[in-house]
This record gives sequence, C-alpha cells and structure tokens, in this order.
Amino acid sequence: MKKTMLTLVMVLFLSFMAATAMAAADLVVAVDTPPRTMNPHGSDADSNLSIMTNFFDGLLQLTDGKFMPALAERYEHPDTLTWKFYLRKGVTFHNGNTFDAQDVKYSFERLNDPEVSEFTNTGKSIASIEVIDDYTVIIKTKEHIPWFANNLHQIFIMDKESTESRDVGDVGQKPIGTGAYKLVEWVKGSYLRLEANENYWEGAPPIKTVEINPITESSTRFAALVSGKVDMVSGVPVELFDKVTANPKLEVVNRPARRAIFLSLGNASGTPAADIRVRKAMYMAIDEDEIVAKVMRGQATPTAQLPDEATIGYNPDLKRYPFDPAAAKQLLKEAGFENGFEITLAAPNDRYVQDKQIAEAVAKYLAKVGIKVTLDVKPKSVFFPEVGEGKHAFYLIGWLDGAFDMGRTYFNLIHTYDKDRGYGTWNGARYSDPDIDKALEATADMVDQDTRAKALQDLNRMTMMDKIAWIPLHYQQDIYALQKDKKIRFNPRADMWMVYKEISK
Amino acid sequence: MVTFVFRRLIQGAFVLLGVTLICFIIFRYMGDPVQTLAGQYATTAEREMIRQTFGLDQPAYIQYGRFLANAAQGNFGLSYVSRVPVLGLIVERFPATFELAFLAVCMAFVIGLGLGVIVSLRPYALRNRLIMAGSLAGISIPTFLIGILLIMVFAVWLEILPPFGRGDTVTIGFWRTGLLTLDGIRHLILPATTLALYQLTVLMRLTRAGMREVLAEEYIKTAWAKGLPPLKVIFKHALRNVMIPVITMTGLQFGEILAFSIVTETIFQWPGMGNLLLTSIYESDQPVIATYIMLAALMILTINILVDILYALLNPKIRYD
Repeated sequence: MKKTMLTLVMVLFLSFMAATAMAAADLVVAVDTPPRTMNPHGSDADSNLSIMTNFFDGLLQLTDGKFMPALAERYEHPDTLTWKFYLRKGVTFHNGNTFDAQDVKYSFERLNDPEVSEFTNTGKSIASIEVIDDYTVIIKTKEHIPWFANNLHQIFIMDKESTESRDVGDVGQKPIGTGAYKLVEWVKGSYLRLEANENYWEGAPPIKTVEINPITESSTRFAALVSGKVDMVSGVPVELFDKVTANPKLEVVNRPARRAIFLSLGNASGTPAADIRVRKAMYMAIDEDEIVAKVMRGQATPTAQLPDEATIGYNPDLKRYPFDPAAAKQLLKEAGFENGFEITLAAPNDRYVQDKQIAEAVAKYLAKVGIKVTLDVKPKSVFFPEVGEGKHAFYLIGWLDGAFDMGRTYFNLIHTYDKDRGYGTWNGARYSDPDIDKALEATADMVDQDTRAKALQDLNRMTMMDKIAWIPLHYQQDIYALQKDKKIRFNPRADMWMVYKEISK
Repeated sequence: MVTFVFRRLIQGAFVLLGVTLICFIIFRYMGDPVQTLAGQYATTAEREMIRQTFGLDQPAYIQYGRFLANAAQGNFGLSYVSRVPVLGLIVERFPATFELAFLAVCMAFVIGLGLGVIVSLRPYALRNRLIMAGSLAGISIPTFLIGILLIMVFAVWLEILPPFGRGDTVTIGFWRTGLLTLDGIRHLILPATTLALYQLTVLMRLTRAGMREVLAEEYIKTAWAKGLPPLKVIFKHALRNVMIPVITMTGLQFGEILAFSIVTETIFQWPGMGNLLLTSIYESDQPVIATYIMLAALMILTINILVDILYALLNPKIRYD
C-alpha cells in the first residue's frame, strides 16, 4: 500500500516537472471568430481567410490596397477570356515540395468540389486551365469576368502531392502551404500557435512566433487584454470603446471598415415602396447622424452608397439625401400616404455591429413620419436563408465585395432575380428595375477598365440618387486595441485580415 | 434488481430515439446548412447543386432513416463545417468538459454538504443566517453574470487568475489534461467556481433541510445520550440518512453540467463540448448537433440509472422489484 502510494506520488511529481511551461509567443492575439478549418478553400468567410493567408499564398496578394505579385510574378490579359500567369521560381512548400504550375492547376480545379470548397462560384467560372510549362499557366474563363484577377488574393495555392495523398480530415487540420508562417499546433476551440517560415520567398517575417486565441465573448476578450494575457485584440465592440480609450495601458487603432450597412427595400407593384416618393421619404426620415452618434457611439461613417473608396464604381460625388422629416411627410402626402402605412423590417441580431439596435432606431424614425414598422429580428442562421428565399421585402443587411468590384456586387444584389442566369442571388427584396439591369449588363462587356469604371460610377449615381434602390446607412468601423508597452507596429487592413508578416515590433 | 435495470435500459433506448426525432423536426425550422456550405457568392443554381451533393433535398424521413441506419453502425457522419468525423470531434472535446464538470461537482458536493451540515447545527446563529442569505444570491444570479463578475474581480482587478482558456495542458494518450500543471489548475478555478456556485447552494439548502429533520429524530437523541463523540453522531448517524436526496441531486447535476455547460464554456473560452455545440448551432452544423444531443441524452440516462442503483445499495429498504 505504501509502495503504490509512493510510486503514484513520484509519477505525479515527474509529470509536473515534465510539463514544461510553454514560452510566451512573440505576439499573442485575441480574435473574435475561431477558425473553422485549415483547408484554405473550405470557407470563404473573412475570419477564416484571415488565418489562412498566413499559411498560404495566392497568385496575387493585396498589400496597402493594391494587388501585388505573390506566387505569380506577373500576368497578362491578352483577350477578354484569357489570363496568363508567369509563376515565381524557387518557392517551396512547408514540407519541402517545389511550387510549380501543377500545383496551380490542381488548386483551381479543386475549387469545383463542393465537399472541400466554398469557392465553387469561382471554380465554375473557369473554362480551362492549361499548363504551358513548369512556371506558366493560362486560365480561360467561360464569360468575360473583369474582376477575375482581383479575386485571386483569396484563392490559395495548395501542394498537389500532399493534398492528394492525405484524407480530407487531415487536410483540414494540418495546412501545408507556401506562406510566411507554419502551423505548430492547433487545439480546436483553444488556440493556434504559428512559427515563422524561415525559407519564405519574400524573406522571413520579423515576428517569429504568434499565438492566436479566438475568444468569442467580447467581455472576456476585453478582460484578456486588460489583464495583459494578450497583446492585441481585433474586433473591439462599440460598447467597450470608451473603456478601452480611457485605459492608459492600451492603445486603440481605428479605421473605417469596408462593409456598408444599408436597408434593402423591394419595389413590387402595388406596394407603397414602388413609388419613388415613398422611398425618398423613408430615406429622409432616418437621422443617420444620430444613429452614428448614439447607436454606434461615433464608431461609424455615414455613406451615400454601397461600395467603399477602394472599390471600382465608388463615386466620390454622391451625397446623402438630408435628414428632413417634414419634407418626408410632404412626400408621403403627395404619394397618397398621408396616414402612413404598415411595413415589416427584418434584421439579424448577431451579425453586424449593433444590427438589432440600428433596426430599432430606423423603426422609430419611420414611426415619426407615420410609417408603422413591425420589427422581425432573428439570428443570422435563420435570417440569411430567409433573405435568400425572398421572404422579406424590407430588411437590414451589410455587404463588402471581396474583389473590390461594384459590378460583381450589383449583379448579386440588385439585378432582377434570375435563377437560371445566376443573377440577384442576394436580391432578397426582389427589387427590379429594367434600367439598372440594362446599364449593369452593358458594363460586363466593357474591356477598357477606365470606360467601365466610369460607367459603373454613373450606374452608382442612378441607383442611389435617382432610383433609391437601397437606403444606405453607414460604414462600420474596425476597432483594434493593443498593449502600449509592447510597441507593436500594426496597420489595420481594409479587409480586416490579420496578416502577421506585415506586423512588427 | 436485474429486471429493473433491464427495463430502464429499454426505456432509455426509446428516449434516445425520441430525442433524435425531435432534433430532426427542429432542424426543419432552425436554419439552412446550405448557407454554411455554399459560401457567400454561390448562385441559386450552385446552392441547389450543393443541396443535392449533401442529400439535403431528400424528404425529412429519408434523411432521418439514413441518419439512424448510419448511427447504428457507429457512423455519425462528417461535420459540415470541418469535414471530419463528428464522433471524433466531440470525443476530442470530452476531456476538457469532463475535468471542468468533475471539479465543479466535487466543489459543490464538498462545500455544499459541509456548509449545509454546519448551518444545520445552529440554524439561528448570525453567521449561519448570513450564509443562508448569501445562498439566495447563488441561486438567483445567472451563470454568465457570475462568470463575468469573477473574471472582473480576479482577472482584471486583482490579476491573480487567468480569464480564459485551459492554460498549459499535458496530453496522456488521447486525454488532454489540465490537472497536472499548476497553470492548468489555475485556469480551472474560475470556470469551475462559476459552474459550481448554483449547485453548491442547492445542495447546501437541501442538506440543511434534511439534517434539520434527521437531527430531531429519536435515534439521534439516543446517540447524544450515549455520549458518542459529536462528529460521529453528525456524520456517521445523521448525515448518512440525508444522503439519498443529496446523491440524487448530485447525480442529476453532474449529467446536466457535463452535457450543458455551454454558457460557462463560452465565457471562459473553454474548449469543451458545450462550446462546440454552440458554434455548431450558429453554423447550422446539423450532424454535430444531432449526434451531440444524442450523446448528451445517453450520458444523462446512464447517470440516472447508476444513481438508481446506488440508491438500492445505500438503503436496503429501497429495493425495486
């Protein structure tokens, strides 16, 4: 009995000693969304891509708002359907395999398989991939897609041999890419540990070890920062903004987000919203400045359009219609709705910053001009499928286009719903205007980038000011907080990705 | 005794079947997994194709039948989100939740029982009255508030305990444990306390009530009269007779905590099964949800049967025939 007790104590003691405390990483980050999978094609959500971009590279990369060469040193666009890429030589994957054109062909073909890829949309748009030699690839698309190259920073290149030889589960847990960091450990639900890839083709990154802690609960994330357990936090909620700025140990880094929040309003004939005066009245009834000040606590920028500054089609001359409830009432009277009307506003309550509160504020403003709004707020897992099925004629939603192209956004969001041609998938309110459709389809055939950009800007003006297809609200703000004394040099990206090779101390 | 256990097992099987049926009915209204699987830019046509690939366009009873047939063979399918077998995904998280639940139940049992006994001996003393008043707080304050308050006091103001995660863990075989490192134990304290508080107060009040009743019994008076040492009277003679309701509660609580410590795990970012369940609900990851709820039902049923057996062993007067 005594002997077994002694051995037990010895075993425990030795295990105590054996469990050496892990050294703290150079940079410890807390993010708000955990990664779903280490398969780079498995999720097209920015939260996942933000982590994948550290392990993998695409043919191009987005640096300082410009598309720069990554695994492709340069590319040509000889005709509307053809894209020719000249690949970088001397790049190796984390497992030592050489990167060449076969890996590019394999990666793009893999996009078509819905079991492993959420980029089937991109995969289906490609007609053929031709390997000219080890470092030259020609991709032909089925139709003219002007934004094709702009999407390539999100399509990551995988190693053909190791991906084919492993099963789906292993590919989803151990990433093998060409990226600046290698995965050391991923404890699901807990943390990821990254270490620098010393053989990275762009040069080894300055920060050698990174620890990513996904903490979904915002108050716990804040506590982790304040107690010094993490060095940096992304996604600071607006309610905690004042606390963070007031804390002398912390530093806040802020930038206007790319995501615009707006109201989608259908124009089915017979409904009040089919009348342009009613739409304008609803627009002018909402006090966006007050929403920004009170609901968003100053952490938002009012907008008159959907695309952000960096997107093709952004029109700097557009201004919001002014807040004028008296004029709104007058317009309603002219349209024959002196006593207002009833409408239901749907919104998610767990997707955008203060989404539910914004919807409540909008309902109040509309009530003041006589429009009775019934709120229908629900979780995103129920809200988005319903929008996709066209169940709501008036709803709050946000959008940013990953390819920085307003044309692509408009085809998805405002073109008349056409299931066969794949248009208007996200036109949940089923808004339809033949003038907008015609102008939009005309831009798809334009080859000259400047003509197309100008045409998109004109379309933007027509849609937002003449037709009032949507009621725009604001751009969200991306808020990050850092420990001052760690002296981290961090420039937040427009796409909210955390690219650790760009951060230094 | 044997027939009793056998009958309980058959009943358990029916309960499991009913649970999966309810799950499937709820999935119809809960959210569309195609949303999660197809990505933001998929067209309607592509979504239809994905729906067909995953068999989600089949009528509900066919999907249900397929799920049952596979489950009977131990194949619970692949998670929609991470494309790995669901059973492995859940089992991987089990050690974390088990350690948390075990520590919480131990704390609740020992402290709850101890306080209950102390308070029952002199119920009108000031200190004991204060403890009882405090227990009202333990019952009424919701778990997430307790968790956040503890984080605020111990992690932010005093900075002596960590606010999230499991800390350094040691992996023995497939079991990842936090009990063998000081850091791991420190990380366990706050979440376990949060989980334990409610159970602790319930057990305390239960013990106090039971002890009050038993201490008035004749045989206790006899024991005092015989001059037995106080500890023997209280623990060997009195407490034993209070144990039945206490053990029932503890058993039920353990099953419940094990299966549904969702809120605490979310607040402390504890990588356990509850956390997995919540994420899966947000992502409409139906295979994980259905399998998890089945496993939770199985665990609770098993624990209940064990508690019933323990009854019979504890008190010979209670036998089921």
